[in-house]
Amino acid sequence: MEREKMVEELAGIVGKENVLSSETDLLLYGYDASLFRGRPDCIVLPGSTEEVSKIVKFARANGIHIVARGSGTNLSGGTIPTQGGIVLHFSRMNRVLEIDIENQRAVVEPGIFTLVLKNQLARYGYIYQPDPASEKVSTLGGNFGENSGGPHCLKYGVTTNHILGAEVVLYDGEVIQVGGKALDHPGYDLTGVLVGSEGTLGIATKLILRIMPKPEAVKTMLAIYNSLEDAGRTVSAIIADGIIPATLEMIDRLTIKAVEESIHAGFPLDAEAVLLIELDGLKDGMERLAERIMEICRKNNVREVKVAKTEAERAQLWAGRRGAFGAVARLRPNYFVCDGTVPRTRLPEVLTRVMEIGRRYGLAIANVFHAGDGNLHPLILFDERNEEELRKVHLAGSEILKLCADAGGTISGEHGIGTEKMKEMLFVFNSQDIAAMKKVKKAFDPEDVYNPGKVLPEQTLSA
Amino acid sequence: MKQEELKTLLYDEIAKCNRCGFCLAVCPVYTVKGREWATPRGKNALIRAIIENKIDWTPEIEETLFRCTGCRLCTQTCFPAVETNQGVLAGRECLVDRRQYPKVVDRVVEALEKNFNISGESNQSRSMWVEGLGEVPDHKFQKERAEVIYFVGCVAAFYPMAHKIPQTFVRILDRAGVDFTILGGEEWCCGFPLIQAGMKEKMGKLVEHNEQKVKEVGAKAVVFACPSCYHTWKERYHTDAELLHSTQFMERLIEEKKIAFNNGIERKVTYHDPCDLGRNSGVYDPPRNILRKIPNLHLVELEGNRQLSVCCGGGGDLEMIDPELSAAIAQRKVEEIQRTGADEVVTSCQQCIRTISGYARKHKIKIRVKDITEVVWEAMVK
Repeated sequence: MEREKMVEELAGIVGKENVLSSETDLLLYGYDASLFRGRPDCIVLPGSTEEVSKIVKFARANGIHIVARGSGTNLSGGTIPTQGGIVLHFSRMNRVLEIDIENQRAVVEPGIFTLVLKNQLARYGYIYQPDPASEKVSTLGGNFGENSGGPHCLKYGVTTNHILGAEVVLYDGEVIQVGGKALDHPGYDLTGVLVGSEGTLGIATKLILRIMPKPEAVKTMLAIYNSLEDAGRTVSAIIADGIIPATLEMIDRLTIKAVEESIHAGFPLDAEAVLLIELDGLKDGMERLAERIMEICRKNNVREVKVAKTEAERAQLWAGRRGAFGAVARLRPNYFVCDGTVPRTRLPEVLTRVMEIGRRYGLAIANVFHAGDGNLHPLILFDERNEEELRKVHLAGSEILKLCADAGGTISGEHGIGTEKMKEMLFVFNSQDIAAMKKVKKAFDPEDVYNPGKVLPEQTLSA
Repeated sequence: MKQEELKTLLYDEIAKCNRCGFCLAVCPVYTVKGREWATPRGKNALIRAIIENKIDWTPEIEETLFRCTGCRLCTQTCFPAVETNQGVLAGRECLVDRRQYPKVVDRVVEALEKNFNISGESNQSRSMWVEGLGEVPDHKFQKERAEVIYFVGCVAAFYPMAHKIPQTFVRILDRAGVDFTILGGEEWCCGFPLIQAGMKEKMGKLVEHNEQKVKEVGAKAVVFACPSCYHTWKERYHTDAELLHSTQFMERLIEEKKIAFNNGIERKVTYHDPCDLGRNSGVYDPPRNILRKIPNLHLVELEGNRQLSVCCGGGGDLEMIDPELSAAIAQRKVEEIQRTGADEVVTSCQQCIRTISGYARKHKIKIRVKDITEVVWEAMVK
């Protein structure tokens, strides 16, 4: 369809001011936080479910693809319009529709920043648990699409454990409700299917979330190590002891350097690794639990364990952790985040081999990750403008994922597959597995309207 | 600036942007517009695309680059601290080189070239605010030699709504026994509007003139109530004189016991950090120290304070380029102020006052906005 005609039709649905199609806009909606680029045919900013439904009906009738998008913080290219079409930017649908404290539920539109909801809940002493590092800008619709994780997901589970239902626009524009406010719903768990489907099955226009009272007490500790292996062994030992802290994050020397140059978070520059361990829950017994953890740290040669004394100190430590990805851009201009998961017991060994891969390609690698989940985030440092280096980065990234898969882990912890890791899907799934997923895609979106060219590798799509 | 220079000057800086998007959450322009072009990330991407010859200077790029308040909250919250505003200003210089910029800019440039101030009036009217003071010394605060020059700035001098600032500030200086002068018609615009317009090469004449005046007066210090003048002098002027913002100078006068407060003021106030004073010049404590010295005055902080202060909407000459956008940003500022429950918002910038009270007046919102000099004077005479 001619772009002019498309823009005109869409303007009829959402108003002229909410359709963007200039050269500049097409460039600006062609990226996210990954290394991939695409180019949409136009961008639409819907204001209601009804508008979304009309847009989808129009797109389907005209064979146009649709990619839904929030803040574009995606790390695996999930929001890249690889085959043109319409990008739906949800910045206008950003309201909190309901906060139901008695029933511990919140209902929101998809374009709201995760942290904006959290700030509103804080007034009631409540919290929405998932905390992706990008929460201050990531949208809940994006979290839904990616099944986002975050440090506190060790104890509380990832996004899917906190989404109870949604209003979803299907490929033909029909609007359905999945799940609901109750804990368990009869019929198929379509909410479970849709969360983490990366916008390939449907578009959520309303989300029902589980919210919880804020824990009574929080204790944040920084365990400082002279060796990465000792830090890794501590992680396994804590979990093996039956303790599930709220967070168990590891940050290595190179990342510490970058973070400390960026903000003074309080990570010691001469440490090989630090663990950011947070406990939350009832006040009673917390001291004892903290002491048990410190004892495990000591047994594993910890140099020192510091406890955050004030809320400000705690906030500063977390600011350092959340900004770690961005901060490494102080060392080299760009970073490529790998997102692999391994069984916790294999962490020390896999880490060593990750560093070997870096050395082999001549690439510096910084590590900051959800150690408690065994979810690695090696950050490969490079300069995107150097094509040879960029090529090596992709090769090294793929090797790291192979390493994780071979160690009994998998190729994504929380960042999704997107355009980035489609071929790596074959590291963990065989063609029957992929074919089963393809059937789900076909059932939801037989005409490939939504987010084409993502998640499932091409060769098996046609199988 | 020529496009080729962009690459030399800014390619490495802009390349540090990894499109993480953390800046979206804080950018006042994106908060209002909700479109990618409004984001600091998007501005970086466009400058980069220009450098890499992937896009031409489209009309939308002009629109985008001229819609930035220069508040630098993006850089403050960016972990690699990408200096997006440097890219924006350099981009504007390139646009000027192509004669592709908002026409309203020409009016200001013409005014500056003709009258050495941003208003359409003769520069001799610079001290008209003195008339409103009632009884004044014979020299009307214009002396040939003085220890201190009070550099009034265009907005405070020419816009009657802002006259209260120089009027109270000279009263304070006078009462404190400071040997000071204003430059009257010999004060020329500091050049800030030209930097914002992407025409910084035109400011040489203004800078030279003002520097020369400091020498002639033999001043040891130049004091500014306008954060943008202060910041421009700090960044671009060469002078042996000490450069101080009014809050720094008043804090010193309080320490030297030249300013004293009596009964104080029983009131709850909040303080808004102007971008050019706080984030861009690093002056956070002097205004707070002053307010805390006033007996019975209770200071509550805004949600975004000090380094994280959110622009009022008047930064970077945005009010001139896009008054509607500026007002929409001001609306959010007003809401933030209201959430503190304070009786009054105090700031130390005539532009912030203009933007905040302008919005409040237009929408009939009762909110008292004061410059810190007014509060100090009130506490001195009460």
